[in-house]
Amino acid sequence: MATKKHYAFVIDVSRCIDCRSCQVACSVENNVPMNNTRIWVNDLGVQGEFPKLERTFLPYNCMHCDQPPCVQVCVSGATFKDKVSGLVLVDQDACIGCGFCVDACPYNARYLNKERGVVDKCNACVQRLDQGMQPACVATCVGKSRVFGDLNDPESEASVALRNAHDILRLEVETNGVDTDPNIFYINSPMMKELNLPISTGQPLVSQMGVLPRDPKYTIAEIGWKKVLVPLVGLGIGASFLVQATYFGKQLLEGEKEFDE
Amino acid sequence: MTRTQLTRREFLKLGGAATGALAAAQFVAPRVAQAARSLIDDPNGDGYIPTMCEMCVWRCGVRARVKDSRVVKLEGNPEHPHSHGRLCARGQSGLMNTYDPNRVLTPLIREGKRGEGLFRKASWEEALDLTAKSMLKIKDQYGPEAMVFSSTHNLSQVQFENLLNGFGSPNYGTQRSLCFNAMIVANLMTYGMEEPNRDYSQLKYIILTGRNLTEAISTSETTDLMDALARGTKVIYIDPRFTKTASKATEWCPIAPGTDLAFHLALINTILAEDRWNKEFVANYTEGFDLLVPAVKDYTPEWAAPITGIDAEVIRRIAREFSDASPYALAHNGWRTSNFINSFATERAIAILNAIMGNWGVTMLPAAAEDSSALGKPPQPAYPRISAARLDGVPWKYPFVPLKLGIFQQLRDAILDGKPYQAHGWFIARQNPVLSLPDRKRTLEAMGKMDIIVTTDIILNDTSWYSDVILPESSYLERYDPLVPIGDKAWLRQPVIEPVGNTLSALMIYKELGKRLGLSDYFQYTDDEDYLRQQLAPTGITLEETRLHGYASLSVSEAADVMHWNTPSNKIEIYSATLKKSNFDPLPTWQEPPLPKPGSFYLLSGKAGQHTQFGTQNNQLLHKYQDVPRLWMNPKAAEQLSLRDWDWVEVTSEVGNVKVQLNVTQAIRPDSVYMTPGFGHLSKGLTTAYGVGASSSVLHVTYVDPISGGQALSQTFVSVKKA
Repeated sequence: MATKKHYAFVIDVSRCIDCRSCQVACSVENNVPMNNTRIWVNDLGVQGEFPKLERTFLPYNCMHCDQPPCVQVCVSGATFKDKVSGLVLVDQDACIGCGFCVDACPYNARYLNKERGVVDKCNACVQRLDQGMQPACVATCVGKSRVFGDLNDPESEASVALRNAHDILRLEVETNGVDTDPNIFYINSPMMKELNLPISTGQPLVSQMGVLPRDPKYTIAEIGWKKVLVPLVGLGIGASFLVQATYFGKQLLEGEKEFDE
Repeated sequence: MTRTQLTRREFLKLGGAATGALAAAQFVAPRVAQAARSLIDDPNGDGYIPTMCEMCVWRCGVRARVKDSRVVKLEGNPEHPHSHGRLCARGQSGLMNTYDPNRVLTPLIREGKRGEGLFRKASWEEALDLTAKSMLKIKDQYGPEAMVFSSTHNLSQVQFENLLNGFGSPNYGTQRSLCFNAMIVANLMTYGMEEPNRDYSQLKYIILTGRNLTEAISTSETTDLMDALARGTKVIYIDPRFTKTASKATEWCPIAPGTDLAFHLALINTILAEDRWNKEFVANYTEGFDLLVPAVKDYTPEWAAPITGIDAEVIRRIAREFSDASPYALAHNGWRTSNFINSFATERAIAILNAIMGNWGVTMLPAAAEDSSALGKPPQPAYPRISAARLDGVPWKYPFVPLKLGIFQQLRDAILDGKPYQAHGWFIARQNPVLSLPDRKRTLEAMGKMDIIVTTDIILNDTSWYSDVILPESSYLERYDPLVPIGDKAWLRQPVIEPVGNTLSALMIYKELGKRLGLSDYFQYTDDEDYLRQQLAPTGITLEETRLHGYASLSVSEAADVMHWNTPSNKIEIYSATLKKSNFDPLPTWQEPPLPKPGSFYLLSGKAGQHTQFGTQNNQLLHKYQDVPRLWMNPKAAEQLSLRDWDWVEVTSEVGNVKVQLNVTQAIRPDSVYMTPGFGHLSKGLTTAYGVGASSSVLHVTYVDPISGGQALSQTFVSVKKA
């Protein structure tokens, strides 16, 4: 679905220091209850053996997918893909709090706000965008890891960051043959051989270690921009989810029209 | 005043509920925040008000969003040089300090035993009268020196100093000896200034010695480092722990604890042996280079390798890379540098390494002093002459420790031992020595010797919990502080909302107390705004204008001469004749710190990015996103002790023991364990932080460096067993 704007998050993995300023800023800006969060920093853990160690932090939130599974399952029509901004939003006046979308989101990026009986998640701080401001997480990011902007505008910060990136990674999930086509682009990440991805629901989202509450292991295939599908077993919700990570070569993006100068 | 005994539960009810009833009390701050909001171009007074953060001492510029008389969001102020529009997690959480359900909203006077937590509400009149009466009684009976005053690094400290100096006590406790005395004194000895500025704009190579910038965050400097990394600056990170900074660095050297000095001596040795120093710079601007050459000739990389655990070839390569990159290189002098007996010599070696490579003027610049000369100040008389010696031994026993730094742990011990005289009262402003000082048992014993303990704070931190009178301060979003000059601007902290309860600014607490102590002449301002107007008077800028912008522009005189050092020789002193005169090493030489006995570990200290020292753990937003505080241990060590991740363990040092959960991680050397300080609170008045984690201060063994007065926080050895 082509939208007027194509808002996306670009996250420079090499610059995330896991300070969690984005998380606190988001909680305040969006009145997120104390036992919930809209935004995570996934700590992939200390990898390797002393003293040859690596550690990577992968911030994430709603991926504002181009093919959002949450929209498919929403019975009240409250969750929608905005035709202007391209953002996936929840009309909380229309939301009945059934939670189907919470289960359907393969990234576990939604939660049921029990105080208000509605589903909540990252809305890219649309209230701030309207005033010409950046989302709260982006504005305060101490490491300048988080960038946000309109990919339809080749001069937006997000487009520029993608153009200058060494490598680009998206976390794609395929459900019933449809790719989520997410709009968080991870750039300049060390080679991630293993990723912990969120898959099911029903557990507290704020984990004590800043990592995701569940850690099913997926193998990310060898580097290369060819799409590789890794089958996943043991998942609920009656859908066969497939997780795929895609590394784009820079040439791939340069070949796309909107990035032409 | 009703004599209500407050249990913890009742006390907690105070938050909010008491506000209305107390608003009519005598010292109600004028509705100043409303005035600030009227400056906003919004009929409801909603919008952004510029002010300054106080979640740590870095003082970022803030823009506070206010709606319906509440702070709803804090943003970094893009104009402020310390934040550039960004705030760290602590800065973002700042409004939760103000709205903490555990806020102390009215003066409290102790009813039960110390530490029992029974207080009754009091009026400001009663609390201040009681405080002044107790202080004057001590002065009459024992002399003014029997009152100890302590407070650290806040913008109202100038008036705090008026209180103690006007009262006539020499006993001034800051927390700096627990933090950066070694670095400050070493820089004073070498460069004649406390801390040169760092400039990352042209930086190509940096050695961070334990400077964990991504977890001990100084917002603008942390961003500067990440910018430098992104443009290809090589970052060498030296630390026994694989911190988050280590994971970002180009190269991590897991150095043996206590051996940073050997590493830096070997760098200097290599640079001299390979004829790599900056000869022109050394000849023109330094003193005593010739004496350095023989002093370091034995400190080869081969000598340092077995000591530090870093290969000789690695040390040699780093020395070459560093000198090749100079003057676009920097050996960072760290921040909290209270680690081992040799921390002062380490800091001297770092200062000298930069000097011989001529990094001065490129990556190091003269410290931008907080120069208040362009601002006014209320008039005040000279201080009374103080004849009593300071309890902390400065300067009569420790001549090189600046008076304004002092030696806090020595002060505590002198209180406890009653030598050279017995102190009887302690006034503590916005500090938590119960948790910060090493050997908590001794701190509590020292407090037991006091006739009166008075604290100012915004919540019932542990020290308030053990005190007799609590004077509740307005939070940093509710009050003014004196202007602070940074470069060509004087920055303002101003109230963005009215005080939540019956609290006062530090400026007014000190003034009201001073009045009762007969010290009104030291507090010649009618209120906070009058103080600021007197500061602004010479600039011709109005307070209203300053409030609107958040700063007043200053006409600053010509930039100081970069190539000038306020040392006895007016040069950078590689060799220090001053140190020599007092029979200390005039050049850094290797001092071997004590080693742990077999079966025990170094207890390392450090920081997590979500907290500041000992005062933010009750902030619910930070609590929400903090890690569970655990003891780090390498899997090899854990295996030997048959310990597993998340096990409860008992950690024992020669002065105390704590129980804490274990974090088995590769991110630490097998000879060390680590705890983040600031947890294990004793105060049950902290309902968020109480019961979380354990306090490393319980375990820390007290040490005083004879030159800098610094504590040695990593020179505590512990054994660990299953609890």
